[in-house]
Amino acid sequence: MLPLSIKDDEYKPPKFNLLRKVSGWFRSILADKTSRNLFFFLCLNLSFAFVELLYGIWSNSLGLISDSFHMFFDCTALLAGLAASVISKWRSNDAFSYGYVRAEVLAGFVNGLFLIFTAFFIFSEGVERALEPPDVHHERLLPVSILGFIVNLIGIFVFQHGGHGHSHGSGHEHSHSLFNGGLGHGHSHGGHGHSHEHKHAHGHTHDHGHSHGHSHGQDYCHGDHSLEEMGGSSKQILQGVFLHIVADTLGSIGVIISALLMQNYGLMIADPICSMLIALLIGVSIVPLLKESIGILMQRTPPSLENALPQCYQRVQQLQGVYSLHDPHFWTLCTDVYIGTLKLLVAPDADGRWILSQTHNIFTQAGVRQLYIQIDVAAM
Amino acid sequence: MEEKYSGQALAGGGLLGPVDVPSARLTRYIVLLCFAKFLKAVGLFESYDLLKAVHLVQFIFIVQLGSAFFMVLFQKPFSSGKVVTKRQWIKIFKHAVVGCIISLLWFFGLTLCGPLRTLLLFEHSDVVVLSLLSVLFTNSGGGPAKTRGAAFFIIAVICLLLFDNDDLMAKIAEHPEGHHDSALTHVLYTIIAFLGVADHKGGVLLLVVALCCKVGFHIASRKLSVDVGGAKRLQALSHLVSVVLLCPWVIVLSLTTESKVESWSSLIMPFVTVIFFVVILDFYVESICSVKMEASTCARYGSFLIFISALLFGNFWTHPITDQLRAMNKPPHHESTEHVLSGGVVVSAVFFILSANILSYPSRKGQKGTLIGYSPEGTPLYNFMGDALQQSSQSLPRFIKESLKQILEEYDSRQIFYFLCLNLAFTFVELFYGVWTNSLGLISDGFHMLFDCSALVMGLFAALMTRWKATRIFSYGYGRVEILSGFINGLFLMVIAFFVFMESVARLVDPPDIDTNMLTPVSVGGLIVNLVGICAFSHAHSHGASRGGCHLHDHSHSHHGHSHSHGHVHSHSDHGHSHGHSHGSSAGGMNTNMRGVFLHVLADTLGSVGVIVSTIFIQQFGWLIADPLCSLFIATLIFLSVIPLLKDACQVLLLRIPPEQEKDLHAALEKIQKIEGVISYRDPHFWCHSASVVAGTIHVQVVSDVMEQRIVQQVTAILKDAGVNNLTVQVEKEAYFQHMSGLSTGFQDVLAMAQQLESMKYYKDGTYIM
Repeated sequence: MLPLSIKDDEYKPPKFNLLRKVSGWFRSILADKTSRNLFFFLCLNLSFAFVELLYGIWSNSLGLISDSFHMFFDCTALLAGLAASVISKWRSNDAFSYGYVRAEVLAGFVNGLFLIFTAFFIFSEGVERALEPPDVHHERLLPVSILGFIVNLIGIFVFQHGGHGHSHGSGHEHSHSLFNGGLGHGHSHGGHGHSHEHKHAHGHTHDHGHSHGHSHGQDYCHGDHSLEEMGGSSKQILQGVFLHIVADTLGSIGVIISALLMQNYGLMIADPICSMLIALLIGVSIVPLLKESIGILMQRTPPSLENALPQCYQRVQQLQGVYSLHDPHFWTLCTDVYIGTLKLLVAPDADGRWILSQTHNIFTQAGVRQLYIQIDVAAM
Repeated sequence: MEEKYSGQALAGGGLLGPVDVPSARLTRYIVLLCFAKFLKAVGLFESYDLLKAVHLVQFIFIVQLGSAFFMVLFQKPFSSGKVVTKRQWIKIFKHAVVGCIISLLWFFGLTLCGPLRTLLLFEHSDVVVLSLLSVLFTNSGGGPAKTRGAAFFIIAVICLLLFDNDDLMAKIAEHPEGHHDSALTHVLYTIIAFLGVADHKGGVLLLVVALCCKVGFHIASRKLSVDVGGAKRLQALSHLVSVVLLCPWVIVLSLTTESKVESWSSLIMPFVTVIFFVVILDFYVESICSVKMEASTCARYGSFLIFISALLFGNFWTHPITDQLRAMNKPPHHESTEHVLSGGVVVSAVFFILSANILSYPSRKGQKGTLIGYSPEGTPLYNFMGDALQQSSQSLPRFIKESLKQILEEYDSRQIFYFLCLNLAFTFVELFYGVWTNSLGLISDGFHMLFDCSALVMGLFAALMTRWKATRIFSYGYGRVEILSGFINGLFLMVIAFFVFMESVARLVDPPDIDTNMLTPVSVGGLIVNLVGICAFSHAHSHGASRGGCHLHDHSHSHHGHSHSHGHVHSHSDHGHSHGHSHGSSAGGMNTNMRGVFLHVLADTLGSVGVIVSTIFIQQFGWLIADPLCSLFIATLIFLSVIPLLKDACQVLLLRIPPEQEKDLHAALEKIQKIEGVISYRDPHFWCHSASVVAGTIHVQVVSDVMEQRIVQQVTAILKDAGVNNLTVQVEKEAYFQHMSGLSTGFQDVLAMAQQLESMKYYKDGTYIM
């Protein structure tokens, strides 16, 4: 019997030993610049969290311990991004015939969701605090928030750097980064929020800094495994990411301002208002990301094709011998990879091959990468 | 209320007049309007201060007297215009009576909840209120924007009602027993006390009622004002009549009660300001502006400014500096704490501004007709049959009715809905009981449950949305929503499990003191709710067909335990609920999912049993460690039970070949290979879009002398047998590639495509070489 697919022999059941697997992951992480960066950030974060945890246990401060748990939670988002960047490079196999590229979208979605949760919690906390402002120990707030701001600025700088790269090269790095990057920022804020939230328990202010750290870290990850050249949408995405970072920076400026206000004027209300603002910023900045990723996951017609498609349909219908066109489905596989299926009803005497190649041509020009056209011959 | 008619009598001019007035000419009217509104806010704050000293009825009498005096002076209603007939006099009399009652309500509300809240609640122009009411109670609402505006409005009122902790101080500071001296106020007080709400909240309700009355009153008196000869004349006459009406009452009052006012002369100035600012200036400016501008523009600017200035004054009115600035030597009052600015007020002010903006915006659509365009002369054309065309924007009740029908139509959504109702009922019982017994733990637990219900709502919404028809944009339909919402729920559960886990680890280290008294009844209640859920669910299970319906059960239980345990803290309480929602959406009608969901519910119930067990342990043996251990256990259970769900959802989202059809599909591919004339196939992609849609695409290469249509039919039939119901087969002959390469532009593209495929590791087939 003929093999089902040529790759059958390559597809081995995963029965490696653990060590080999792990080293393989390492290699694949380190092979790629973006995932490498992500990985380093993760390590940095984790080591911070561990230091915090150890210090907390040593000094027996519950606040520090719980804060480090928060940081671990933050790290999971980072981990999700990293996992996605590794997974998305796996080869396609029989079961996943498109490969795992969608993992990126999924990771972006998950991160966005986490951010929304975080924002929601911060917001509710802020409202609670606005109603009855608690006593906040703000001695350590200012240095930590300034640290956070600096990290944020670094993030912006890095992002702009990435932008340059972008301009030279292929665009979607950004889009990818968007997908994985979402969470980062948010957390940073989240971090603020948290730190504020339980300022009474001493340590946690720490999380500002770190949180920022990862946030941006992700922005420029994923840069390199751009699969194809950019589509029109990535400009928007670029803007989105940039806005996002700006929002972050604004957030940390807000923290600094509130710290100053609290320190110098004793305006305790500044803290909840700031955290509410930050939560709102996170929420607003995350909405486009969520919308986009939900659209992709729901097999929406790509917004960038929405306008081009009707023209294409028209052109196809004007081809000689084409009666009608039905069941058009166009969707996004991952950023900038569009897939379409189409059924054409053609005259019995039409040249199917010519129609096929013409249609392919038309849609390829519109930016559809993979097209499946079923040609049905009309009954006489 | 004094700006009555402003909208109506002149609405003809305002709404239908030339629309494109250059904005430059409008600027001064806007400035004028803003100024008037600002002064009105000042006047209301002033009158609040006055009302502390002067009796309500006396106050209204004086205000009416003053405004009647000035209006008669300006308008000369007797010397100019037509003669007023007897019938019209009767109507004016009725008008005045109603007007008096409304202003009584208004100012009484003012004494109850302070000027800031009064301004926020009462100063909505008729345009806003009308469109709010039309959104709520008719089906010509005017689109989702209006609905949003109405929602904002309601949120704002609720904020003011519930989240404004103003009444505490207000009650202590000035429960004005002195004001009870009038029978009328006494009656009002009794009614409010009967409703069981605080004075302040009663005032809010009163003002909302008064607002609705005001608008109705304005509409009802529109015809009268035309009859009498203009709104201004009617206004003047009505003021006069109400002075006459109130006169005996005031006389009786001042005879029977001793006045608290030391010197009336010192009150003249404030009264004049109030009369001018609140009544006369506002009335005239409003009527001018609504002639010059559209009523909606007018409403927008006016309400925006008045809210802002109300907020400002609310903050600074009792400030010492303003005390110095004010010329009036009013009776000294020290209670600067009453009716202060609170978070709830600020939030509701923001919402009021938003809603006033939204609601007054597209009012050129009209309440009865819809604007369909402008005639060549520039007059707008209205379509009064608009309702029939406006199916997309339904009114709230109709929308609710229809979606209820849809929900009840299908088994799973019905199940979710019933469960939601059960849960909500439980929550509300808990909340009410908590409020009644004043237990913070119960209240916070109730709020947590409410929050949990949001997951249920999402599940319900997803179940509804799944049934939407495919559109041009979402060409495969919305079936995926189900999977997505399952995924979201699962993630949510995971997060919660994580937090619970963390929390319980922290508690393991040092177990807190737990008050277990409340624990048992509530957690038993939760368990019962849960068991009901399981029953419903297993029922569904046995039916098989129903997918994912039920999930919702569990919320109740677990967190109770927690919440109670640390009622004071209320943070982490959320164990239990979480589970519930998860299942809902996930199950895409697949058996594995069903099993998973069922197991999940089972685990939930076990969790709530765990809470009860831990309670018993704590109560009987005093093992405080039992609580964190139980929550640890619960968290692990949640975590484990969510994993399969997430895995399934991820697989679908990653476009995996549906596992249960994998074998069939392989067999089908083998069959395709054996069809006569097929050389090979490439890029077979099959994926599950939703529970019911399995989509597939395949390229088939055939020898050149075979009928394409036959191949397509055979392949389609084979794959349909394998369960693929949305298939596209592309049949390629060798000539196809030659064609492709023959097209010069196409060639480049195809080449690029091939490279791209390569880099994506899609490149799996040697035949794809041009």
